[in-house]
Amino acid sequence: MQKAYITALYSIMQKDRGVLSLLSDSGTDYDLMMARDFPKQCFNFGISEQNKVAAASGMAKMGKTPFVYTTGSFLAYRAYEFIRDDICFQRRNVKLMGMGMGMGMGAWSTLGASHHTTEDIAALRALPNLTLISAATPLELARCVWAAYETDGPVYVRLGMSGEEELYDETYEFKLGKPVTLSEGHDIAIFSTGTITAETVHAAERLRVDGVSVKVLNVHTLKPLDKDDLIAAVNGLSKVFTVEEHNINGGLGGAIAEVLAGAGIGIPLMRIGLNDSFAKGYGTTAEVRKLNGLDREGIYAQIKQNLN
Amino acid sequence: MASPKELRKHIFLAAYSGGVGHLASAFSAVEILSALYLGGVMKYKSSQPEWEGRDYFILSKGHGSLALYAVLCDAGFFPKAEMYRFCQPSGVLGGEPHTLDTPGVEASTGSLGHGLSIGVGIALALKLDSKSNRVYALIGDGECQEGSIWEAVMSGAAFKLNNFTAIVDNNKIQKMDYVKNIVGDYSIANVFEAFGWQVKTVDGHNIDELKYALNGEWDEDKPRCVVAETVKGKGVSLMENNPAWHWRMPSRKELKVFISELDITEEELERCKKRT
Repeated sequence: MQKAYITALYSIMQKDRGVLSLLSDSGTDYDLMMARDFPKQCFNFGISEQNKVAAASGMAKMGKTPFVYTTGSFLAYRAYEFIRDDICFQRRNVKLMGMGMGMGMGAWSTLGASHHTTEDIAALRALPNLTLISAATPLELARCVWAAYETDGPVYVRLGMSGEEELYDETYEFKLGKPVTLSEGHDIAIFSTGTITAETVHAAERLRVDGVSVKVLNVHTLKPLDKDDLIAAVNGLSKVFTVEEHNINGGLGGAIAEVLAGAGIGIPLMRIGLNDSFAKGYGTTAEVRKLNGLDREGIYAQIKQNLN
Repeated sequence: MASPKELRKHIFLAAYSGGVGHLASAFSAVEILSALYLGGVMKYKSSQPEWEGRDYFILSKGHGSLALYAVLCDAGFFPKAEMYRFCQPSGVLGGEPHTLDTPGVEASTGSLGHGLSIGVGIALALKLDSKSNRVYALIGDGECQEGSIWEAVMSGAAFKLNNFTAIVDNNKIQKMDYVKNIVGDYSIANVFEAFGWQVKTVDGHNIDELKYALNGEWDEDKPRCVVAETVKGKGVSLMENNPAWHWRMPSRKELKVFISELDITEEELERCKKRT
């Protein structure tokens, strides 16, 4: 997904010389290539996320479009007040790119909760003027980066680091704010967001083998949420599940519950994610997901046991 | 052009109208802002706040908003009547400056340790476009306790922002006490110098000295820092150098001192309906 990000940003920076890439000592070889090709558009601010976010506000004021890229936990948590006061409150056209969503920092998850973004949706969803996107696949991320560029105003994109499974083909059309129906079904719906959506899709396949008709929706845009689409999606179903690599409080599940309850829809809803806890364990991202019940088997088992 | 004493009078009357205000913080920065806006240091067009040729000013110590409003008003960015709607539902001047509310306010501040970084971004963007506009940011000495200030200071030197001037309102007092009693005695000028800035220290209540320093000779490739030695609450004897005045308005008895030392008439006071 990181390659998809850099490839999309490379095209945008080539097309528009006012687009800047701001790093916090957070780059890779791809970024060295960018700095070589666009030396006047790439800046490494060093390990100073607060300063970088506020400086991006100043740059956007001057007509630039900064893409602020760093580890999601340091961006969303450490620089939160700067995102709030300097970007959202002042409505600056800054694109915030939080890398490494959920428990994964690429293929590995060895650093523990300090490097996880498992509460960021809850925190960022509360910010006025902010568009919040959580990309499920590399192709979707590329589309998100373009959508962020084409949106006038503050945008935050959660992106995975590498090796994510692709669920789409090149014909995929990304529409900001519009959830994507990955499969139709008439018993239950599963709403999912971010890279864990691939695990959700596999869990749904197993449920289908068991005879459950499952509708799967990828809610890539968490803010603003398309209420009409979500309400229509649960019509006639018996239960709704939400799956996210995030605390069950305040994230996707909370957002869906707000929409459904607000519309007076009395359908049972179960939120699957981290149960108000930090993720436990170390290993590959796949192993840590499994330890926390958020791999395909874990998601399948939780839904299977709670169908009624 | 209003004198510093007249500016302080406007500031006090605005605060009196609103019933609130960080008077002491504003009073310590009056000459600094006056030199910048009314003393010819900064280029701007008050009839065209977004004029591309302007220099940029960020009030990082947002509590000093009343001093900024007083000079912006005197420079013609908005009518004087607006000053007397300070912190009131009918007005656009809040306790902290907000760029979307007030003409001439370049950035919203209030939480400390943000404005210097915003200035870094503006200065860097100007350099990218090879523009000669300058950027000024006013920070407080208490504000320098925020770690983000030093992130911005490092960036300013690393990006060689010679179009950027940080001014430190070095009034030596913060909300609860003298700065040195909280974080020890240290030289702000030395720290800025250690980080690669060129520093000049001036009397922050002497407009000529401020102008001479701001406009004078500087190294070609370094960001600039002017440490303005100031007195918190300058201009009213009761408030000067007294930590008690961070956030309060005078009692009836104290009001007499303000009226007398700022040359406020009974009519002027009467026109500003006190809300509290």
